[in-house]
This record gives sequence, structure tokens and C-alpha cells, in this order.
Amino acid sequence: MEKGQKLIYTEKKFSLWLAAAAVMHALVIFLAIYLQSIDARRQAKPKIVSVSLVSLPGVAGSHEFSEKKAGGEAHPATSPEAPHPVVNKKSVDLKKALPEVAPVTPKKEKKPVKVKEVVPKAAKVTPKKIAIEPLPAKVKPKAIEKPADISKALERIKQNVDKKTAASPPQSAGNLNDALARLQQKVKAQGTPASSGSGSGQGGSTGARSGAGKGYGGGTSAPYKAEIASIIMQNWEFSKLLLKNSYGMEVYVRINISTNGTITKIIFDKRAPSEYLNNSVKRALEKSSPLPVLPKEEGAKDAWIGFVFTPEGIEK
Amino acid sequence: MVDSKLGIFGLLSDAGPVVLFVLSVLLSFSIVSWAIIAFKFNYVRQSLSESRAFLDYFFEIYNVDKAFAESENFRKGSLPRVFRSGYIEYRALGDKADLRQVRARIARAIKREANAESKRLSSLVPFLATVGNTAPFIGLFGTVWGIMTSFHNIGTTQSASLAAVAPGISEALVATAAGLAAAIPAVMAYNFFTHQIGIIERDLEEFSPEFVAAFINEP
Repeated sequence: MEKGQKLIYTEKKFSLWLAAAAVMHALVIFLAIYLQSIDARRQAKPKIVSVSLVSLPGVAGSHEFSEKKAGGEAHPATSPEAPHPVVNKKSVDLKKALPEVAPVTPKKEKKPVKVKEVVPKAAKVTPKKIAIEPLPAKVKPKAIEKPADISKALERIKQNVDKKTAASPPQSAGNLNDALARLQQKVKAQGTPASSGSGSGQGGSTGARSGAGKGYGGGTSAPYKAEIASIIMQNWEFSKLLLKNSYGMEVYVRINISTNGTITKIIFDKRAPSEYLNNSVKRALEKSSPLPVLPKEEGAKDAWIGFVFTPEGIEK
Repeated sequence: MVDSKLGIFGLLSDAGPVVLFVLSVLLSFSIVSWAIIAFKFNYVRQSLSESRAFLDYFFEIYNVDKAFAESENFRKGSLPRVFRSGYIEYRALGDKADLRQVRARIARAIKREANAESKRLSSLVPFLATVGNTAPFIGLFGTVWGIMTSFHNIGTTQSASLAAVAPGISEALVATAAGLAAAIPAVMAYNFFTHQIGIIERDLEEFSPEFVAAFINEP
């Protein structure tokens, strides 16, 4: 009897310890989960957002900016009444005005997006058409001038530019008109595949060098594609150094653009093996939204445009 | 870049049934091991300390009646228990039997109690050895299974990028980590208890004849 009671007592004691051990394990697991979630929250955003290593290379960005200029010149050929050509002309004016300001505030030159925001102000200053002249040679020594003299310098440059434009308007206007006429012809000649919506869209690359060369599933005009391609390329941030293997690194993506230019859908027809590349494509597209308003010839419908992305950006 | 809400535990939510089963087995092993460790630690510690205290008292007075009365205060010690069983046998015999018979019966009673005490001390301890030996292998099994599944997925997705391979292997390695986490304390505790129980058993062997002599030569 006594031994039996002892045994029961021992068993009870052991089951008590068993329960305590179970509770202890549950606590340890809960604590581990809790600490990990706290740790994850702590490390959530800070440095991932501000990683500039990816965007540092910058070569592509500046290249794209120049390409955008080229694309901008092509615009008047297709839609002269659209607001874009005016904007681009103004951006040329701004380019001219900027070299003097640049030494004082060099940061302004870095982001092409900011240039767009400044454009209207620059347009007010020089509303006339201007041919690009090799000004920097004259500008360089003036860059040392104090800020108080900048306005004077600006005035002088404006006068110089006015003189030069007055001296050679027929030539520059003639060149521009020739270029526009050529572009119009090319667009008309290749404009039909755009409405079919199934072609490879090679025509885009002729209108604008940066165009969506291998764009597929088109339906929009080539200059418009070129324009949005250059905008997307401005937002393209990718470092090839992070890829071990570049084999098969292609992303086929389709975007749906609403009439107001907003990207409403992004569909990956083919993903790359690297999630980094896939994410970069998605990020560049999201950053680029809203895009310029769809050309009027598209009607009131939204449009699907396809691109092929490689580690270098949009494939040409 | 990687949206890991709960780290390792987040990974386990995608684990296969075999890996989850292995992990649950290891978790139950760990729970039982820790329960045994806590239970035995108390038991062995009390047994050792009360045995020492009783021995001090016994050799101080060398009187079996007083020692028996005092042994009531040391109910958890192994040596006091053995002494009590010998004393009960001694008193049961009274003056009826001759000296040789009394010595033999007391010795038998003491030996029986010493054996029972030894069994009580070492009960459940072999489970710690079992966990210590098998848990790493069980964990390894879970890992091997997880890696097999992971490689199968790589073949299915036809992508050998780190993003496709790493989560599966990481998830599989959790099983090995869990096996080691269960085994390490079990092995340490097993070694500790084996040593402590060895000390108590040696005391029982050494002092059992002393108790018999004390009953026979009672003043």
C-alpha cells in the first residue's frame, strides 16, 4: 500500500514536471517568435530603401537622358498638337540655360526627372526656338562669377543666343522640318502594325533610338512607345555585378496603360531566373507611372504595350 | 528584399509533412527530456544530501534506535531508506532467531532495499541516453528529406538560382538544429546523473555491511 502510494506520488510529481517542461518549451518558442518579429521590425526599412549602390552606376541614366532627347525630337512628327513637343523644346532651352547654373548647384543636373519639373520656368525665360550651340567654351570662365553676377551673365547669354537664332533661323528650322517630314514618312510607312497588335514592333526603334525595339503586343504608336521606354529607362536601377550568371536573363512584360497614362496592370509573360531582375523591372515600371497621356489616335481605350527587359534595361 | 516575417518559423510554415512530423517528434523528446532532467535533478540532489546528513548522524551516535528515529526526517535519502528496511527486519525477528540467521535476514533485507533504491534512482535516465543518441539522427533524417524535396522542387521549377534552392535547404536544416537542441542537454544530463547515481550506489554498497554490523552489535 505504502509503495503504491509512493509510486502514485512519484508519477504525479513527474507529470507536474512534464507539464512544466511543456510550458517552458511553449514559452521559449513564443519568445523566439516574438524576438524575431521585433528584430524584423527593427531592420525593416532603413538601408534597403536608401541603397544607392544599385543606382550608382548612372551611366545608363545619363545615356537614357540623351536618348530621351532624341525621342523628344521625334515627337512633332506624329502628334504636333500634343503638349510633349513643346515640353521637349523647352527642355532644350533649359539645357542651354543650365550650364551656367550648374557650377553653383551641381546637384540639379543629376536627376533628369527634376529637369522636367523645372521646365516650365525655363520656358518662360526663353520661349523661342533655339539651335544648340557650343556654348560651354564661353561659359566655363564665367562659372567663377559670384551669384550676384549670374543674372547679368544670363542676360548676356540670352542676348547672344537671340542674335544667333536671328542669324540662322532658316537653316535650323529647315533641318527640323526635314527631320519631321522624314519621321512622318517613316511612321506612316510602318504605322499599320501598331493597329494589328501582334507584330514585333520593330518600327519603334526607327522613330526613336531608345524605343521599345522588341516591343510586342503593341497597338500604340512607335513614338509613344519610344517615349515611355525612355521614361522607364530613366527609372531603371539594376546592377549587373549582383548577377552571377547572365544566361536567360530576359523578362517579357506587358503593361496596360489607361487613357490618363497610369499603368494599371503589369503582366510578366516570362520571368527571369533572378528575382532581383524581376523586381527591378516591376520597380522601374511602378516608378514610371503615370506615363504621358495616351496619344489621341488611340481613342478612348487603354493600351497594352510589351517590353523585353535584360540586365541592361529595355532590349533594343 | 526578402519578406521574412518570422524568420525560421516563417520558413516552417511551408515545410512538408515529414519535416513537420520529425520536428514534432523532436519537440516531444525535448519536452520529456527536460521533464526527466528537472525531476531527476531534484530526486538525486535530495537523496545525496540526506544520505550524507544521515551518515554523519549515524556515525556520531552509533545507536540504531536513535538513528531509526532520526531517519524519519530523511525520508528522501537512499541510505536512510536502506537503514530503515534493515531496522524493520531486525525488529521483526526479535530474539527468536539465532545470530547467523538474524545477520543473513537483515543483510538480505538491506540488499533488497538497496537494489530497489538503485532502480528508483536510475529510472527514466536511460531515456536521456536514447534522446542523446537518436535525436541528431532523427533531425538528420528530416534534413535529408527536406533537401530531397528541395531538389525535387528545383527540378520542377527548372531554376537553380539561390532564391529557389536556399529556402528549402534552410528549412531542412532546422530539423538538424532541433535534433541537436534536444540531444545536447539530454547527453549532458545523462552524464551528470550517471555520475551522481554512481556515487550513491557506491555509498549503498559500502555502508550496507556497516548497518548490518550495527544491528548485530547493538549496545
